[in-house]
Amino acid sequence: MTLLVLVLTPTTAQLTSVHAQGTTFTVGWGAAVMDTLNPTALTLYDGGAYNIIHAIYDTLVRSDTSGSPIPDLATSWTYKDPTTVDFQLVQNATWHDGQPFTSDDVVFTVNLFLTHKEFPLMRTYVQTIKSVQAIDKYTVEIQTTKPDATFMDYRLFGMVILPRHIWEAVPNYTSYTNDNPVGTGPFKFVKWGGQNTYVLYDANANYFYGKPHIDHLVLRYFTSYNALALAIQSGEIDYAGPLFTPALVPTLTSASGVQVITRPDPRYYYFCFNQYAQGSGNPLLRDKAVRIALSHAIDNEELAKVVWAGFAVPQNTVIPVVLGHWVNPNTPKYDFDLKKAAQMLDDAGYKPGSDGIRVSSKGVRMTLKIEVPSNYAEEYRAAQVIAGWWKQIGIDATPMITDVGTLADEAVAWKHDTFIWVWSAGATLDPDWFLSMFPSSESQPAPNPGLSDSGFNNATYDALYQQQITTTDPAKREATVWQMQDILHQEAVYVALYDPLAVQAIRSDRFTGLPGGTLPPLNQFATNNLLLSVMPISAPVETTTATTTTGAPSGMSTETLTVIVVVVIAIIVIAAVAMTRRKPQPKGQ
Amino acid sequence: MVKLAYFARKIAGLLVTVFLVLTFNFYLFRILPGNPFTLLFRGAGLSAEAMRGLNAQFGLDKPLWLQYLIYLRNTASGSLGISYQTRAPVLGLVIPSVINTLILLSVASAISMVAGILIGVFAAWRRGTKIDVSASAITLVLYSMPTFWLGLVLMFAGVIYFRLPVSGMSTITGAAGGIFAQLIDLMRHMILPLLTLVLGLTGQYVLVMKGALLDVFTEDYMITARAKGISNRKLLWDHGLRNAVLPMMTLVALNVGLSIGGAVQTETVFSWPGMGLLIYRAILARDYPVLQGAFLIVTIAVIFANFVADMLYPLLDPRVT
Repeated sequence: MTLLVLVLTPTTAQLTSVHAQGTTFTVGWGAAVMDTLNPTALTLYDGGAYNIIHAIYDTLVRSDTSGSPIPDLATSWTYKDPTTVDFQLVQNATWHDGQPFTSDDVVFTVNLFLTHKEFPLMRTYVQTIKSVQAIDKYTVEIQTTKPDATFMDYRLFGMVILPRHIWEAVPNYTSYTNDNPVGTGPFKFVKWGGQNTYVLYDANANYFYGKPHIDHLVLRYFTSYNALALAIQSGEIDYAGPLFTPALVPTLTSASGVQVITRPDPRYYYFCFNQYAQGSGNPLLRDKAVRIALSHAIDNEELAKVVWAGFAVPQNTVIPVVLGHWVNPNTPKYDFDLKKAAQMLDDAGYKPGSDGIRVSSKGVRMTLKIEVPSNYAEEYRAAQVIAGWWKQIGIDATPMITDVGTLADEAVAWKHDTFIWVWSAGATLDPDWFLSMFPSSESQPAPNPGLSDSGFNNATYDALYQQQITTTDPAKREATVWQMQDILHQEAVYVALYDPLAVQAIRSDRFTGLPGGTLPPLNQFATNNLLLSVMPISAPVETTTATTTTGAPSGMSTETLTVIVVVVIAIIVIAAVAMTRRKPQPKGQ
Repeated sequence: MVKLAYFARKIAGLLVTVFLVLTFNFYLFRILPGNPFTLLFRGAGLSAEAMRGLNAQFGLDKPLWLQYLIYLRNTASGSLGISYQTRAPVLGLVIPSVINTLILLSVASAISMVAGILIGVFAAWRRGTKIDVSASAITLVLYSMPTFWLGLVLMFAGVIYFRLPVSGMSTITGAAGGIFAQLIDLMRHMILPLLTLVLGLTGQYVLVMKGALLDVFTEDYMITARAKGISNRKLLWDHGLRNAVLPMMTLVALNVGLSIGGAVQTETVFSWPGMGLLIYRAILARDYPVLQGAFLIVTIAVIFANFVADMLYPLLDPRVT
C-alpha cells in the first residue's frame, strides 16, 4: 500500500525542472531523429543529432540571428584574395578534457574531411576547400578552389572542429561511435540514453565566451507532438519544438506559463511539374503552355489559409520569404484565374473531349497524379483542393498519398506527374541551396541521380548558377539570384506554395532570454543563439523546498487518488472472493 | 535414446525455420521501395557523390545475391553488422531495446493474463447473466480500440489529472535517492503504457478462456463430477480450468514470443525506448541491418517460446506425447 502511495505521489523532482545543484533547461524535440554522436556520420542537417553535436562542438564562425557570420572559434578573419582567408583563432579555449585548442586541431579536422569522401555532411562543407595550413599556433589559412559565396555563411557554419589528440587515434571512422564526445563548446556531454532517447549536458564553466546561464541542459526526444504538447503544458519540459502543427497551437496557448513563439522557417512547400523529356510522367507537362496554364489554376494564398490555418506565408518564388533581400520582389505572379487557365489550354490546342477531360491533338489525355509524401497531412489537403480546381478546367487530377521512400525513388527517376514536397535549408540563410536543384547537371538519369525532380534544363540558368556561387560581392550576387528566379518563373518549373511558420513554445514562467525576445529564423540550437542567452527567471531552488508549478492545471489531490485506487482494488478482490463463495448452478450445460 | 532423437529432430527443425525466416526477411526489407540513402538525399548537404559513397561503403551497390551471401556469412560468425544511422553495432542497439521492452511487456502480459483468466472464468461461470455480458462487452470494446488512440487518451488523463510523467523510461536528471527511488521512478513512468497495453491485451485472453471453459462444461466428466457431489469451487478449478488451460497455453506461448517485438503503437506514443520504437525508426530510415537483427531476435524468441510450450504440453496433459 505504501508502495502505491509512493508511486502515485509526484515527487518534487517532477514538479520542477530543478536539479539538485543549479538549473536544468529541458528541451523537447519532436520527431527529429537523434541517431549518432559522431559528426562524421551526420547525414541530416536538421535532425536531432545535428543539435546534439553542435552544443558540444564549435565551428570557426557561427550564425547570428540574421544569418551573418560572427566569431566562434575564429575571432576575426581577413580575405587576402578571393580564394584565401586567414583566420585568427581564440587563444584561451580548451577542449572539454583540458587540452588546449590550437590551429593544429583546425588543420587536422579540415584535412580529415578532405581525405574522407564518405563523410556525408562534413564532406559537403569542405567541398570547395583546396588546402589548409597553420601560420602559427593561433592562425590558419584556408584556400578555396575558386571564390565561394557560400563559404562563410553556410559551409563554415556546419564544419565542426574536432580534437586532433583524440581523433587521430581512431582506427575506423565508419564504425566509431564517439561515445564520449569532447569538444570546445558551451556544453559538455555527460551521458545519453542511447538512440532516440535523451542527452544530458553540463555547462562548460571554461567556455571561452563565458559560461552559459544555465547549469545543465537536457535534449529529449519525443516521437509524437501530442506528447510534446502535454509535456510542456505539465511543466515536464521547458522548451518544445521544432515544428508544431497548427492543430496543437490552441493546446499550447491555453496552457498558463507557456509562451508560443513563431517564425517563418527557411523552407518552402512547392508544386513540382515533371517536364523531363526522358521521364515517364504525363508528356503534356513538357509543354510550357500547359505548365503556365496550370500555374494560373493554383491559388497559393488560399492554400496557406485553408491548409495551414494561417500559419504559413504564401511565397512567389523558389526562395523562402525569410531569406529577405534574396527574394526577388519583382518576379511576376501567375494570378489565380481559372477562366484564363481554361482559355490558355484551349488556345494551346487541348480541347475537352467527350467526357470533359482535355485531350491533346495526338490523343493524350490530361490525366495527372498529384502525389504527396506520406508524412504531410496538410499537403494532402492542399492536393485535394488543387485537384478540385483542376477538375473545373477539364483535368482529370487524382491526389494520392505515397510512401516517402517510394516517392523519393520516383522523383529520382522522373516517374511522377506532379507532387507537392518541401525544400528546407536548416541552419543557413544563404540562397544557394534553393537554387541548386535546377542546373542541368542535377538532372542526370540513374544510376547517377541528381537533385532535380523537375528535369529542368536551361543553359542560361546553368551559367547564372555557376556565377552566383562564385560571386562574393553581395550586390552583384543578389542581381544574379534575382535573375534566376525570373527564369524559373518564365519556364514555370515549380509553383511555389508557402513558407510555413515554425511554431515552438517556451515556459516563460521559468526561463527568459530568447535572443531579441523572439525566435530567430535559424535552428537556434545549432547556432547556439538560444543556448547562450537563455536564463532562469528566479534563482535555483533546492529540492527540499516543494515548489509547485504555477501553471499546474487543477487535478485530484494525492489523497483522493490513493483512496480511489484502494477502493477499486478492494472491489476487485471482494468480487473475486465472492465469485468462488456463492453456490448457484453452473449455466454452461 | 528415443528422447535424444526426438530432441535432435526438433532442434534441426527449428534451425531450418530460423534460416528460412532469415532469408525471407532479407529479401522483404530490400523489396521495400526507397534506398536508405536516397531518402536522405533531399536534405540539404548530402551531395550525389556522398550518396554514392555511402552506398558503396555499406555494400548496397553490390548485386542482391552477393549481399545475401555476405549477410549469411556475417550472421553465422555472430556479427549482426552496424546500423546505417548510428554506426553502432546492431547487437548493442537491439539488446537494450529488448530489455526495455521485456520490462514493460512481461508485466503487461502477466497482468492481462491473470485478469483475462479471472474474467474469462467468471464470464463462463455466469454465462448469460448481465455480469457476463457486460464484462465480455467491455473487454471486447477495449480490445478493439486503436492502441494509439487509447494511449493518447490515457496520457492526457494521466498527465493532466494525475501528474504522471509524459514519456520515456526515467527522469533524466536522475531521481534523487537510491535504488528504491529509481524503482519508484520507473514504475511512475510505466503506469500509463502498462495500462494501455493491459486494457488492450486482456480481451483476447478473456475470449479464449471463456470459450475453452464453456467447451469443457459440456463434457460428460463434468456431469459425473457434479453427481459425485464435488463442491462448486473444486469443480471449477480442479476439473474445469485444468482441462481448459491447454488452448490458453498456446495463446500465452505465442504472445510471449511476439511480445519481444514490442508494442509499436504504445512505445511510439509514450517514447518508451523498446524494440517497437527501434523497429519503427529503422523502417522509416530503411536501416536494413537493424531491421534484420531485430527480426532475427524476434524470430528466435517466438520459436523458442513455442518450443518451450511444446515441451510443457505433456506436463499439463499426459495424453499429449
